[in-house]
Amino acid sequence: MILLESHSVIINDVLTDRFEKASRADIQFVDYDNVRFHLSTPESKTKLLLSMGIQCWPDLVKYGAREHLQKEYEGYLLPQEQTEPEYDVSLVVDLEQLPEGGEARSALISKLAHLKSTAMSSPFLSAFAEESSLQANYRDAGGAQQKDIAEQSETKGELKIVRYREEEAIYIQASNDRVTVVFSTVFKEETDKVFGRVFLQEFVDARKLNALQNAPQVRYSNREPPLEIRHLPGLHNGEDWGYVTFVLSPRHFANPSQAQQTINRIQLFRDYLHYHIKCSKAYMHSRMRYRVAEFLKILNRAKPEVAAEKKTASGRTFRTR
Amino acid sequence: MSNTLRPYLNAVRATLTAALTLENFSSQVVERHNKPEVEVATSPEVLLKPLIVSRNESERVLIEPSVNSIRLSISIKQADEIEKILCHKFTRFMMMRAEGFVILRRKPLPGYDISFLITNFHSESMLKHKLVDFIIQFMEDVDKEISEMKLSLNARARIVAESYLSTFA
Repeated sequence: MILLESHSVIINDVLTDRFEKASRADIQFVDYDNVRFHLSTPESKTKLLLSMGIQCWPDLVKYGAREHLQKEYEGYLLPQEQTEPEYDVSLVVDLEQLPEGGEARSALISKLAHLKSTAMSSPFLSAFAEESSLQANYRDAGGAQQKDIAEQSETKGELKIVRYREEEAIYIQASNDRVTVVFSTVFKEETDKVFGRVFLQEFVDARKLNALQNAPQVRYSNREPPLEIRHLPGLHNGEDWGYVTFVLSPRHFANPSQAQQTINRIQLFRDYLHYHIKCSKAYMHSRMRYRVAEFLKILNRAKPEVAAEKKTASGRTFRTR
Repeated sequence: MSNTLRPYLNAVRATLTAALTLENFSSQVVERHNKPEVEVATSPEVLLKPLIVSRNESERVLIEPSVNSIRLSISIKQADEIEKILCHKFTRFMMMRAEGFVILRRKPLPGYDISFLITNFHSESMLKHKLVDFIIQFMEDVDKEISEMKLSLNARARIVAESYLSTFA
């Protein structure tokens, strides 16, 4: 498994099971980036309550997450007042009023399993919308005035900050011809730092391949934050910080389904990176284990074999000297 | 094998074979004690001249013989940050299993990556030429292992980056 899934497997499995046959549930589980889920049946077996607690909810609300969820989960989303305590979003699914037909049901399951990525997508979507309006304005301005003047005064949208983990954040900024997404990530351990640098360098280099010309441009810098966010207060400069910049061009969000796909991919970037760093560490470890066992075998060859007592056919002991 | 590695290993092998002439020797300082003299260093007259065999500035072997023990410290090639961390992890991993490797020292000498301590008891219970073989084999393999680990890390990083970015295309 190289790529991570953007949906929650637990939600997917539990709902598939419950849609077949209603039964009680009280499951608490987590997803990447300290996202907590609670799936329960507080009233009756047929009323499933799915709540999500997400660390960056205040940030997401600022960029219209509530409205976006309202639109996506029409009829399932509970109003703010009825949200389960300690959680940020609650959805209720009535198993007696499910849509008919297997396909509609699996579509609903997949939609519910994407709850986290849907919530996280609102700042991206608003940045994409901003980009298209900026682009339209830019074209108008460019038509009216001389072109190079317009180019000098590049228009930029609002810088959106999503603090998706305690110390790490995503910065999203729209501009007239692109959307820039900056991840800040921290490497807690010396090994992670070195491995992370190798991985990020490969991300930068991979784009040179012809097959990947359509992929977003990737840049990374450690120690210093990139220019887009350098003016922000409270940024960390240090050896163990990495800043990764993705430049999304309009073709990455040309239509809604493509935009959603891009968002699902990009918001898992940090998890993907760290997952693979951990995987390579595990691989190194198993490799070292094997190698050390081999060395031990070589060393043990140095020990002379203990002469086992041999017996002759008649039963007398026979000693080798 | 590159043409400088062979003479380097040959030199280490010859020096080590010559140095591995150990005999039982009780402590002259504490009665009824028998300690590796190279480690305690209480009687200078039983210590022999330490010797460094070096291939280049980063790869060298320090051999410190004494009457009843010999200490051998290896400095492993570390060209860049990745090799440094891999080497550190690997040697640490081995030294944590030092009780299995009877001749391995739990801590390297300062300035070296890994140290071995061979006492007369080891050379009595094990075949001397095989012990030398082990050290030489270790020196050969550890470089190979580290460069292979580095290559596999790079290969993995490349695959990971490509498969992530190809989903955008």
